[in-house]
Amino acid sequence: MLTKEELQRYDRQMLIYGFGEAGQEKLKKAKVFLAGAGGLGSPVAFYLAAAGVGTLRIADHDKVELSNLNRQILHWEENIGQRKTDSAADKLKRLNANIKIETISETITEANVLKLVGDADLIVDAMDNLPTRYLLNKAAFAKGIPFCHGAVYGFEGRAMTVLPGKTACLNCLYHGASVPKEKFPVIGVTPAVIGCIQATEVIKYIVGLGELLTDRLLNYDALQMKFSEFKVNRDPNCEVCGDKRKKR
Amino acid sequence: MSVNIEMSSFFGLYTNNVLITKVEGKTVRECLHNLVKQFPKLERLILDQDGNLRRTYDYFINGQSVYPKDMNRPLKDSDKLNLLYVIHGG
Repeated sequence: MLTKEELQRYDRQMLIYGFGEAGQEKLKKAKVFLAGAGGLGSPVAFYLAAAGVGTLRIADHDKVELSNLNRQILHWEENIGQRKTDSAADKLKRLNANIKIETISETITEANVLKLVGDADLIVDAMDNLPTRYLLNKAAFAKGIPFCHGAVYGFEGRAMTVLPGKTACLNCLYHGASVPKEKFPVIGVTPAVIGCIQATEVIKYIVGLGELLTDRLLNYDALQMKFSEFKVNRDPNCEVCGDKRKKR
Repeated sequence: MSVNIEMSSFFGLYTNNVLITKVEGKTVRECLHNLVKQFPKLERLILDQDGNLRRTYDYFINGQSVYPKDMNRPLKDSDKLNLLYVIHGG
């Protein structure tokens, strides 16, 4: 049941056709695992908190640095040196005191990823490296929960949603491709756009509205101000979700 | 046989901001090797010492993923090859 305050707070989004009180109650009951509280994680967390997602479980092992502040809008000058999860929880509770914020200040590893994701309904990939993204993709497959991928570089960004076992997964897309660890270039407006797309996908999935960004890679090229799409087919030989793998 | 190649802005630094071009070639390999002849700065960026596409790059053919991602995959006249960098930042 929504409280009188919640009915007022979420009034505008409940007016959206197909959303209503039922949609808001779904958001209130939902638990989202957010991997990363950085450039992508900031807009994802802010908009999911604002929308009234009941529980945000945020994992990030980093501390806030001055060089984060051009894009990681969850963190401010006063937070430099603090754990990102603490800084994030503080802002999000001030934005919406009625939601639950769970924080995990650990590195996501193969050994702990399933435990950290816990009983979340969905995983949001807001990481800054490919190996952890692959771990999260596998965890989503193991748990049978959706996975919302996002990535940025400079003025470019990409997003794709995975429904494990039904649609192409991150490994179908990249086949375990690796990129050397590097200090990647980025300006804050790029993760702002991609993070908002990821948050939109989360809300649509939970409420049950619209068409998800499945089997499609959305490519955002801000320098050309172009969005384009690529059809991503499931790879039958995918090591994570392929049919041939399952038969072995 | 002519194939259309499209690249994202990432590649502009190496192509004098030319992001759409045509190359001759019957396979992905031939097309990429002719692409780097047009834009020599791309060669060390996208091709390894064996002339294969580095694993930090990806391609789509006619807007679709293809499996396996084989350099010898045949291409037809007027096919479109999109070249992407596997971006990974967050």
